[in-house]
Parts: sequence; C-alpha cells; structure tokens
Amino acid sequence: MSFTLASLPRALALALTAALGALALLAPSKAAALDEPAMIELLKEVDVRQRNSGDWKALAYMQQKEKGKSDVAYEMVIYRRDADEKLMFLFMAPKSEAGKGYLRIDDNIWMYDPNVGKWERRTERERIGGTDSRRADFDQSKLAVEYTPTYLGADKLGKFDVHKLKLAVKAGRDVAWPIIELWVDQATGNVLKRQEFALSGKLMRTALYPKWHKVYSESKQADVWYPKQMYFYDEVEKGNQTIVSIKDIDLRGLDKNMFTKAWLESKSR
Amino acid sequence: MKQLLRIGVRNLLQNRRRSLMLGGAIALVTLLLVMLLAISGGMQATMLRSANTLTTGHVNVAGFYKVTSTGSGPLVSGYPKLLELVRETVPEAKLVVPRARGWGKIISETSSLQAEVGGVDIAGEATFREVVRVEEGSLDGLAEPGTLLVFRKQAERLGLAVGDMVTISAPTFRGVNNTVDVRVVAIAADLGLLSQMVVFTPAQTVRKLYQLSDETTGALMITLHDRADAPAVQERLRKVIGEAGYTLMDVQAGQPYWMKFDTVNREDWTGQKIDVTRWDDEASFLKRMVDTFDVLAALLVGVLLVIIVVGIMNTLWMTIRERTSEIGTLRAIGMARSRVLSMFLIESFVLSASASLFGAAVGLGLALGLDGWGIPIGNESLQIFLMSDTLRLAIDLPTLARALVTVVAVTTLGALYPSWRAARMRPVTAIHTVG
Repeated sequence: MSFTLASLPRALALALTAALGALALLAPSKAAALDEPAMIELLKEVDVRQRNSGDWKALAYMQQKEKGKSDVAYEMVIYRRDADEKLMFLFMAPKSEAGKGYLRIDDNIWMYDPNVGKWERRTERERIGGTDSRRADFDQSKLAVEYTPTYLGADKLGKFDVHKLKLAVKAGRDVAWPIIELWVDQATGNVLKRQEFALSGKLMRTALYPKWHKVYSESKQADVWYPKQMYFYDEVEKGNQTIVSIKDIDLRGLDKNMFTKAWLESKSR
Repeated sequence: MKQLLRIGVRNLLQNRRRSLMLGGAIALVTLLLVMLLAISGGMQATMLRSANTLTTGHVNVAGFYKVTSTGSGPLVSGYPKLLELVRETVPEAKLVVPRARGWGKIISETSSLQAEVGGVDIAGEATFREVVRVEEGSLDGLAEPGTLLVFRKQAERLGLAVGDMVTISAPTFRGVNNTVDVRVVAIAADLGLLSQMVVFTPAQTVRKLYQLSDETTGALMITLHDRADAPAVQERLRKVIGEAGYTLMDVQAGQPYWMKFDTVNREDWTGQKIDVTRWDDEASFLKRMVDTFDVLAALLVGVLLVIIVVGIMNTLWMTIRERTSEIGTLRAIGMARSRVLSMFLIESFVLSASASLFGAAVGLGLALGLDGWGIPIGNESLQIFLMSDTLRLAIDLPTLARALVTVVAVTTLGALYPSWRAARMRPVTAIHTVG
C-alpha cells in the first residue's frame, strides 16, 4: 500500500499542507521568482507534458462523497482525440448511470441518457455525472492558451518545492473558472494543487494531484504525463468531495468514426 | 304534466326503500363530483395565484439574448425603453414590473438546493406584497442589495433563519462561475409547488451574479385586471413591439421560457429577440397537472355514473314489471304511449334531480367548510400534487350547475330505454300480466 498525501483524511491532509507551508515560509525556497515569459513557458510545459498528439483512452473510477448522502462509485471510459479536440465519456457503473455519455461536438457538450433516449445540450461547467469533477479535468490541458499568469512566489507543498501562480482567464475564453491558483512542482513541472475561484473571488474548489504517472506515446514520440489520482474538494458545500483514479491508459488509435452521437448511443444500449 | 309529476312522486314515496337506496347513490356520486371539482378548482386557484405572483405576469414581455450562436440567456437588454413602450401600449394594465431571472444553487452551511432566482424591485411589486405572506423578517429588507427571501419549506431544508448568510452560485450567461453572498431577510409562507422552486433577491443582486448591466432584466411582467384579456393584450404588444423595430420570437403556445433554451441555442442568430408570452404558457406545466387531475376525476365519476345508470335501469325494469297491469289499464283507458314514456322519465328525473341537489348541497357545504378550516397537508408528494400545503377547495356556481345538470341528465337518460319499452307494451298483454 503506497502512502500519499491524498490518502490521508482531508482535514489531516490540509493541516499537513498548512504546516509544511508554514515551514516553507521559515525556510524559503531558493528558486528565483519567475518573470512572465518564464511563467508562460512553465504553463506551456505543463500543457505539453500532458498532451498526446494521437488518441487517448482511459478508465476512470470516481468516488463521490456528498454530505448527508451515501457514497457513490462511478466508472467511466474517457475517449480523447487531442488533434481534433474530440472528447467523449461513457459511464459503465453504477447501474443507474450505465450507458450515460457525454460527447463534445465543436463547442457544445451533449449528454445522452439511455433511460429517456434523448440528447441534451449541457454547459462547460456541468458537473460530470453530478460529481465535483468537470469536463476540463479529463480534457487536454490548455492553461497557457486560456490564462494569463502572475507569480505569487516560490512555496513548499509537502516535501515538494513549488511555483505558486495565479491565473486569470484571457478575454473571450470559455472556461469554468475565471481565476485559478496553481502549485507547480519545480522539479517536474507537474501540477500538485489547484484552487479555483468564482468571478466574485470566492474559493469554489480545491484540487490535489498527488500522483503523476507517465506513459510512452508512439504518436508523440515522448512521454505523456497524467494524474493518476485527483482529489476535488467542494469549498462552498463543505464536505462534498470526489476522488478520481485514472487507470488503463491506452494510446493506440481509436476508431475513426467513434466520436459521434450514433456510436455513443450504440454503446449505451 | 302536473298529473304525471304527481304520479312520479307518489310512486317514489310508495317505494321508499328503493328510492332511498338509488337516490342515495346518485347523491353520493354528485357529492363526489362536486368535491373533485372543488379540489381541482382549489388547485387551479392556488396555481394561478402563486404563478401570477412568483414567476409570470398575465402577459410577459421577455426574450433571449445570445452572445454567441450557441449560448443564450433569458434576458431583455435596454429594458427601460421597452418598459415605456409597454406602459404606453397597455395603459389599462394593473401593474407592469421588470423581473430579473436566474437559476442558481442556494448553498447554506448545512445544505443546498437549486432554484430559480427572481430579481425584484420590491418598491414597485404591489401584487407581490398582496400575495406573499411573510412569516419571519420583512419584505422591506429586499430593498437592500445582497438580501434574500426564501419560503418556509426552503428555509427548513436549508436550515435557515432570518439573518443567516447563504451563497448563490451560478455560471454567468457567458459561462463563467460566479457567486454572491446574500443575507436572509424574510421567510414567507409556502405558496404551493412553485414556492419550492423560486427564491427572491433584489434585481441588482441578480445582475451582479450574472454580471449584467443596469438596463438588463429578465422579463417585463404585466398584471391585468382581468386575465381573460391576456390573448388580446399579447396580440397588441406583439404588433407594437414588432413595429418598434424589435425582432420577435414565434409564438410557442404552452411553453414556459425555460423550455425554450434548447430551441433557441440551436438557432443560428446572435443579439436580442423579444418573446411575448402569456401566463398559461409560463405555467403550462402546472396547468397540465390540473388537467391530468381533471381527466382522472372525470374517469372516476364517469365509471360511477355508469354504475348508477345501470342501477336506475334495473330499478325501472323492476318498477315496470311490478306495474305492468297498471300500464295496461292506463293504455286501455286511452293514455298515449308518449304519456307513458313521460311518466317513467319524469319519475326518474324527480329522483335524480332531488338526489343530485341534495348531494351537491352537501358537497358544496363540505367543500366550503374544509376550505375554511384550511387543513394542513403533511405529505410532501400530496402537497406537490395539490400545489398547496393546506387543503384548498374552490368551486364556482356555473361549475356546480354544470355538474348538477350532467348527473341529472345522464341518470334521466338512463331511464329512457326502460320507459320506452314500457310505452311500447300492448294493452291486452299488459292487463293480462300478473305483476
């Protein structure tokens, strides 16, 4: 059994993070502040490390904890074709959700519910399957394209030296979160923590990415990094959280015509 | 005719037990019909009262604004100019108020719920003050930005008291998440199903949440003195607004604004389109519930009426059998067939009319009594079905009269065939028949 920051209860994990943060203040990192080009470079690196030029298929297990309700475990398959910006989710479990799917066509997210046999247009901000996860959490990273960074300082997150950045959305970009604070590992360029804010400045969600794995991509001719585990904490409705585990990454080419409503419907039956 | 009536009454009195049994059944069916109509009337009255206060005017000048061809908001931009035009066009309106519209998550310390967020300018909301009964706090508190009115059930669900802070979270119409923190200033008594689906905050708070300009609202709600004028006012407004250079949406009868998002988002246009709707469009989903109840009630009463008609026919068969020799004698001394037919029909009519009148009177008294009592309904599903947290019954005289006429007509017509058979009896055969 591996020990990670995220395997701790949330309160303990946050306390530990805060304590480590305080320690970091007492012994500040020697990393120099990043200027704007360096920050943009860093964001590009974050994006590029996760991008795969070919197709992507993965299995995601999600555990949704909601205040006053029993936990629900979801299983879904993620299909991605980054070159064409195609994205599709197909739910396999629980039984009540099996067959439901999301499909992005151009700028629209469509949801299919086999129980009613209908497609519904959903927004970018839609919680996937009612969990605390969003479409962007499973899509390719586009931080450098969508946001303008400012440097908040070098920091320490647990044992990791990190760059802390504040990102503000660029004009005209369609994103769920207009403001993001990002903790990027100085050594690897992996995002370790992310806090997302509403326009009003209210903290809405905290995400932790304690485990990063890589897989070699033939099409990219390089490694593709992905967060093996993601922890999403709802900061407005305290007590709600979603834990996502990504498994069985497959970078082989997918069927050419599979990102269609017809394909998803056929799999939903 | 008088003679026939006397014979009918005497015959009914002679067979007192049989008359009472059959009359009782007719009275019971009438009572049931009146009660069902009163429940339906109560539902309809609650629906109209709450819908016309909470979510719709008798006529609404609303519409959609599309920033991109795929994303729309239920908005009217530059509304002051349109408001002036509406007031000029409908001078007879009782009230015209702008109402901001939104949909958000209301989050308290302990729970959350999704609701329509109505943005009001409380100073101008005269009807709102008449209908919304505040149990805690004050409606005047809504004059201050960053405040909220919730209804009793919502307050219980969210664990709220006056003075508590809650967060309203919603994506703006451009798609970015936003929040506003608001303080609860009033908790109002529930107003049926709709009051579980809507909260109210000052219009400027809705604008802040959705990042809208001061000249943008959700709809101009027009309250008329008589809601029957709504179709004519709608037509007049469509003509004038169209002539003023606004682009109008096609009339989609029976569709509230929130059911139009999919259609609007699919259409390839950007900018503003104005939609002039009526209360029965915006509250159509509630009306459908009332209609469904009416159909079920009609089916139930229909089945009971069939049973009653069979009972009447059977009773008349027995009567005719018992009185065969009497019919023969009457026919022999010259009574025409039509008179015999009338005699039995009148007897049946007297029974039906007296029993129905009695049933209707008891039903009406019961409905009025129960309505006055205001029995609280504990079951939430029943509350949703009846659109009220107390049992409300309402019946008007024309409806009552229609119910009476229906029962009397159906039961009297049920006697037609046996009476016709009696009238067709040959006098000789009838006289020789031993009853």
